[in-house]
Amino acid sequence: MDLIGLYPTWFEPGVGSGWIVGIIATIHVLASHTSVGAAVFFAGLAVYAHRAGKPEYLEFIRRYGLFLLVFSYVIGSITGPGIWYSTTVASPRGISALIHSFVWKWATEWVFFVIEVVGVYMLVYLAGKVDRKTHLNIALVFGLAGYTTMLVIIGILSFMMWPGQPEWFAEGGYLNGFYGANTWAQLALRTAFMLTMTAVVGGIVASRFADADFKRRVLRLLAGLGIVATLAGALLQRWYLATLPETAQVVLENRLPAGYGTAMATVLVATLAYFAWTWLQPRRTTMALASSMTVGLLVLGLWPGETARESIRKPYVAGQYVYSNQVIARDVPGMGVKSELPALEAHGFLKLHPFAPDGLRSVHDGSLLEAGRFLALTTCSNCHSLTTTGMRPLARYFGGNTEVPALADYLKAALSTGNTMYMPTIPLQDDEAEALATYIAHLADPKAAQAWIDGRARQTATAVTPSSEQGAPR
Amino acid sequence: MNAEMLLALRDPAGVPSHPLVFLLLGVLTFALHVAAVQVMLGSGALVLAGAFRADPRWRRLAAAMLATSKIAVSVAIVIGVAPLLFVQVVYDPFWYTSNVLSAWWVIGFIAILIAGYSAMYGFYWLNDDLRARAGRHGWLMVASLALLLLVGWIMHVLSYQMLWPELWKEWYAPGGTVDAAGRTLHAYSASRFGFFIALSLPVTGAWLVAVRRYLLGAKEADAGYLTLLQRLAQRLLLGGGALAVLLGTAWMATLPEKMAWFVGSLPMVLAAAMLVLTVLMPFALGRRLDQGFWGYGVFGLGAVALIVVAAAREWLRYVTLMGAHGYDALSYRVQFDAYSTVTFFVTFAVVGGVVLGWLLTVAWQAGQTRGVYTPSPAVARMGRWSIGLIVLWIAHYFAVGAYVMVR
Repeated sequence: MDLIGLYPTWFEPGVGSGWIVGIIATIHVLASHTSVGAAVFFAGLAVYAHRAGKPEYLEFIRRYGLFLLVFSYVIGSITGPGIWYSTTVASPRGISALIHSFVWKWATEWVFFVIEVVGVYMLVYLAGKVDRKTHLNIALVFGLAGYTTMLVIIGILSFMMWPGQPEWFAEGGYLNGFYGANTWAQLALRTAFMLTMTAVVGGIVASRFADADFKRRVLRLLAGLGIVATLAGALLQRWYLATLPETAQVVLENRLPAGYGTAMATVLVATLAYFAWTWLQPRRTTMALASSMTVGLLVLGLWPGETARESIRKPYVAGQYVYSNQVIARDVPGMGVKSELPALEAHGFLKLHPFAPDGLRSVHDGSLLEAGRFLALTTCSNCHSLTTTGMRPLARYFGGNTEVPALADYLKAALSTGNTMYMPTIPLQDDEAEALATYIAHLADPKAAQAWIDGRARQTATAVTPSSEQGAPR
Repeated sequence: MNAEMLLALRDPAGVPSHPLVFLLLGVLTFALHVAAVQVMLGSGALVLAGAFRADPRWRRLAAAMLATSKIAVSVAIVIGVAPLLFVQVVYDPFWYTSNVLSAWWVIGFIAILIAGYSAMYGFYWLNDDLRARAGRHGWLMVASLALLLLVGWIMHVLSYQMLWPELWKEWYAPGGTVDAAGRTLHAYSASRFGFFIALSLPVTGAWLVAVRRYLLGAKEADAGYLTLLQRLAQRLLLGGGALAVLLGTAWMATLPEKMAWFVGSLPMVLAAAMLVLTVLMPFALGRRLDQGFWGYGVFGLGAVALIVVAAAREWLRYVTLMGAHGYDALSYRVQFDAYSTVTFFVTFAVVGGVVLGWLLTVAWQAGQTRGVYTPSPAVARMGRWSIGLIVLWIAHYFAVGAYVMVR
């Protein structure tokens, strides 16, 4: 009986580990897109400063670049590995699946990342200290390297949703996993978003220009870019959605919050309204306004987007073969990967989990509740909070039911068979289903769960006593 | 946890190249990362030592060290991504378990690092004229260094917990009851951590030797400043080197039984010898330190010494996990992927080599030039190649993608 590769579970009782990942991811996307947007804007500004012979804008790059570029770069570069960290503790096998298929691509991205960071310091610190052509070349290298990091990460993000080519399951291979219709749609969508960011972040910088005429021209240029990029993004979103697998479409239609579409439409309209304002009222566009709009639009737009992206790949978390509860649920012969579901069907989680405490390997009266808690942590808590707060609290899905046999029957019928949309197959042994049901009952009413355990213990004692007496010395 | 359990935790997809490649890259990039960390801490400490003095030369040093420390933070982060990547490839059972068992600290690492870095920037923004007047708001710099040391401590614990698989189950379920909160740091070695932190003193000493040589090349006029750098570098190299040796000895003396074989082993002796050689090098060179490139040689030798230290550290981990726990990192199943392997090494060597070579050449020469720097035709050509190579890389990306889609 081979063990399966399940890790310990981290459970955050307040908001849930999933939300922690989401918060860090949102901050990262905010910082990284801000920095890429700022990079494009500063490169353009450097070109203008050199061509028009306006050294004051190079000084401007030096002063504000230090904040916008370096700071957002470092926040971006901390929260980038921060996503690794948070997914490592929330979904170790999910991140492991990505790392082991794409380690060389991530390492390649790292090369461009190093170039980017060296480039950003040189763009800022060497402004006015090197000749025009060299400074422009630095800006160009910086911008190109930044865009290249996006090219690399896009394919990995797409793989999280769905391997690029269906052949990947049979043949494996990096190229089959990386390139697919979703890769291109996502690249186009994120490029549009990056240009929107260029316009938004550029507004923060341009609002500080002392030359009113130049400020007006730049803000209007940015507003035009922003409007086009935002509208293009809205159209590209449709292409992106069309490349999603059928399961994701079903989730999109059925499981996203009711107000999701309205919220996204509001963000779209607000973004366009902001650009219209900067076009019409460039003089009244202040740094505080532009900064507030940047953060507001990004957070309101990014958070639902990140949540949706997280939701639509369920029940999988990577490559349509790793479940969100970390079980490998599909054979991938091309990579030598075998589904763990048959082994779990045969032996159960408690027998096969390397980190199951020895006292929980078998279910008995004394271990029933703790075994149920262990199973809830292992199989449910990645997506369902085990408290009353946080992400999709588990107890809410059972309507306060404390009838252990009924709950166990439901778990066996709905989850062990894999017949519930959006949910993974969770093959529970009979005693595991009873343990998990007892824990679910305990969440609703600890006394009811204890009554069940006590009743079970009495039954066991009744069943055991005669044989014990038979074997006892007289 | 026995070997069967550890092997079960390996990723079933295997690794796309021989595991030795990842181990070697891990050693190399860890050494570079830790060098940046040590420069960051050492130069940060010198900011505190000099920013509040009346002596303008000390304040000039503090201003330079503040710029150094600030950049070293981002260099440390950027380079640190690579060993973080490679450790997950061959030591995934250990790295992931250690992280999950202290999950809150892993998340805290991110927030604390951002806070530490921000505090340093705060100090910089409030003291952008250190050369003109004494520093203010020193608590920001103290807070920054304290927070950066704390993230170093977290990283130390996460790495150290990897070495204790026999305790993992007890940490996860003390007394048989699962504690999934991840709020505890379970194992540490204060002397091991202290050794790596103490190394920041001699490493920064070697850095100051290089700074002095650079200023000589730029025809520095203030001889007193050069003398200050020289004296300080010698003190940091000797005093800091002695402290590092002391803490290294304490680390070796307190190694647990399953790692005791490491004491006196060839990698340990080599690492110690390289560190001592680095510390003594400027004294052996004497006046030659100011001639040719010898002044940079001390930091160069220090970098090599750190690679040897990183290799010894890896040897300690590899042998301990194999000997005491039956986990051979080199036996990871290889699912070879030619394209991505070749793409990385070509990008690393050709694109990375040319572009970074060009950028650093420009930075170096511009720093030594009075007035506006204009590159030589050869350096300018490197700039054009740099752009061309990245454009070529992007073109290859789309071409390969198109091929995959239409084949």
